[in-house]
Amino acid sequence: MNGFTAALLVWTLISPFHGGRGELWPTHVACRNEDLEVFYQSCDPLQDFGFSIDECSKKLKPKLSIRFGIILREDIHELFLDVQLSSKGSSILNFSYPVCEDDLPKFSFCGRRKGEQVYYAGPVDNAGFEVPEGEHQVLLKLYNENGSTVACANVTVICS
Amino acid sequence: MASLVICFFGVVLFLAHCEVSASSDQMCIEKEANKTYNCENLGLSEIPDTLPNTTEFLEFSFNFLPTIQNTTFSRLINLTFLDLTRCQINWIHDDTFQSHHELSTLILTGNPLIFMAETALNGPKSLKHLFLIQTGISSLDFIPPHNLENLESLHLGSNHISSINLPKDFPTGNLKVLDFQNNAIHYLSREDMNSLKQATNLSLNFNGNDIRGIESGAFSSKVFQSLNFGGTPDLSVIFSGLQNSTLQSLWLGTFEDIDDQHLSSATLQGLCDMSVESINLQKHHFSDFSSTMFRCFAQLQELDLTATHLEGLPSGIEGMNSLKKLVLNVNKFDQLCQINAANFPSLTHLYIKGNTKKLHLGVGCLEELKNLQKLDLSHSSIEASDCCNLQLKNLPHLQSLNLSYGELIGLQREAFQACPQLELLDLSFTRLHVNAPQSPFQNLHLLQVLNLSHCFLDTSNQRLLAGLPNLRHLNLRGNRFQDGSIPKTNLFQTVGSLEILDLSSCGLLSIDQQAFRSLDKMSHIDLSRNSLTSNSIDALSHLKDAYLNLASNAIGIIPPHLLSILSQQSTINLSHNPLDCTCSNMPFLTWYKENLQKLEDLEETVCANPPSLQGVQLSDVMLSCGITAVGIFFLTVFLLLVSILLILAIKFFIRWKYQHL
Repeated sequence: MNGFTAALLVWTLISPFHGGRGELWPTHVACRNEDLEVFYQSCDPLQDFGFSIDECSKKLKPKLSIRFGIILREDIHELFLDVQLSSKGSSILNFSYPVCEDDLPKFSFCGRRKGEQVYYAGPVDNAGFEVPEGEHQVLLKLYNENGSTVACANVTVICS
Repeated sequence: MASLVICFFGVVLFLAHCEVSASSDQMCIEKEANKTYNCENLGLSEIPDTLPNTTEFLEFSFNFLPTIQNTTFSRLINLTFLDLTRCQINWIHDDTFQSHHELSTLILTGNPLIFMAETALNGPKSLKHLFLIQTGISSLDFIPPHNLENLESLHLGSNHISSINLPKDFPTGNLKVLDFQNNAIHYLSREDMNSLKQATNLSLNFNGNDIRGIESGAFSSKVFQSLNFGGTPDLSVIFSGLQNSTLQSLWLGTFEDIDDQHLSSATLQGLCDMSVESINLQKHHFSDFSSTMFRCFAQLQELDLTATHLEGLPSGIEGMNSLKKLVLNVNKFDQLCQINAANFPSLTHLYIKGNTKKLHLGVGCLEELKNLQKLDLSHSSIEASDCCNLQLKNLPHLQSLNLSYGELIGLQREAFQACPQLELLDLSFTRLHVNAPQSPFQNLHLLQVLNLSHCFLDTSNQRLLAGLPNLRHLNLRGNRFQDGSIPKTNLFQTVGSLEILDLSSCGLLSIDQQAFRSLDKMSHIDLSRNSLTSNSIDALSHLKDAYLNLASNAIGIIPPHLLSILSQQSTINLSHNPLDCTCSNMPFLTWYKENLQKLEDLEETVCANPPSLQGVQLSDVMLSCGITAVGIFFLTVFLLLVSILLILAIKFFIRWKYQHL
């Protein structure tokens, strides 16, 4: 049986790692509190990213502070965010928001290049509102001027 | 014996694995044959053998090349553009690019470089652009200075650089762009700046560096194309440091995530001692906004005050007499008159885009701007029931007007009489109210481009486009036509000079054969995203060498008599149509294959019918229909034989009958 074991060992050792593509990225916690939990999962097949919200509360404050870490796979001279909000399978709200534009780079990371690792800790431009009770699905997509994906997230918000 | 079998089994397993890994190897994407290839994200640890020696543009980012040396790319000697972003490169050894004489752009962004050999960049005859962004560089002498004489741009962003003092032998003679974004530069000394003295018309970027001091005279009597100090918290440091300098453009904006000090007139005082043509102060706050604030802006040609929280500008501002271009986007004006336009008598370009409040146009608020050529009021929730002669009073030189993404605009006859020189008018996504049969655009003799997409127009008004003798480009995307059809007599009859027409997403079901008769100069027509069938192609019979977009319609079968109309055009897009791939569409299918060079978007042009061919590209369909020439020959021979036999049989029968009478 020796030869067989050896062959098997060699085979497993030189087998390429088939992780990543095709498999799903793990689900992470963006924030967790008594009344609000936010989970997210990267829907970019190429990579995961890190994200957290500093204050987690049912009553979302305006200008939330977030932390965000990612490797850029595209230049972001122009960057746009699409948000699709749905609850119980029906779509509630869709909107698109420019994050970086040629004539208005809102954030200090605007204009950074493909291949750069970006870490952002700072405010976002959100309005304050109260999250209604229940489970909500949010699809977030960041893409650049060519429509190429920069980041994609499936977010689940559970509010009790 | 058993072990032999097991070994054999092992070898088989090994081979099977090899085969699997070979087939799972993804290939580089060919973007231009023998020239441009994209091998991004493939996890390659060497240049694949499949790439031809003639490759010139190679995108090789996100692969795995821990060490690069003179054998790594030696086969691809014609490379002019090489992107090695995030290839986990640690070492760039001697003479890596020795044989790459044509290389002009090298991108090494995001590699954890440990060392670059002295001769690492030798070889290229004219290396023009070098990207060393986020490569961990902390000192500029990390970069081997040999063979950089032709360098035009050097990108050193997101490193740990704290001094911009270039090594003595670093050539800067051809340098035009030097980018130090997001480093740790806090101080700029005279010595630092002197190391750049050979460069002319240089653009220097210090965005995202916390500059706390500039040695006085560091920029003195120096000339720059542009300087960017974006996100610097204390602008007075910058102004005092830039004394006696001459700049084309100075970017001093800040960002959402940076706490800024309020700008006062005392801060801006520093501008009096320098010469600047264009300045950007986006996202700053102004304190004590007074008419003396811009006292030192006398020579300024362009001022950008985007998102500076302005609710108005004071009247009687001194020293803005020569300002040509003013950007007031994303502010909080109520009334257009609050900008006090009389302050800027020389203005030629004015932008008030994306006002965060509903902007009221008022009456004659811009009438002092006699030289205004371009006005952008888009995305500012504009509403005006009777536009635009009073609102745009006295703008005799206005050439370009953007009122797109407004709320509702009512247009009467000759609504733009106040600006008769208009060449471009954009009203897209603003709901327009025009009473038929009025002609709001009448007398715009010079208008060439009119964008009326998604304006909820009454397209049955045949006089809508009257009085536009020079209109070349008309966009009517997303407007509806009565019953989904364009009749014989329609609004296009008055715009015979039209060259480009966009009628996509108009819910069209049919177009009359004579509908476009008067449009004989048309070279580009977009009819995509409608529900047109091939019957409507007849309306295009008089067009020649045109670009024709029929994508996303309801075209199934194209009868033979329409093929000549398609043949006489230069480019046709038939993608996303329910095209028929049965024998009843045989003439078209044959035509399609013969005219592939005329067709656009081939990959998305697929069969919908029969079910067996659904989704198959039209260019791949092989059909054999009806009878072939050989078949016809045999059939004729057969019929001939039968008839001869029949005649013989009848002859024989008649003879037999007579004999037995």
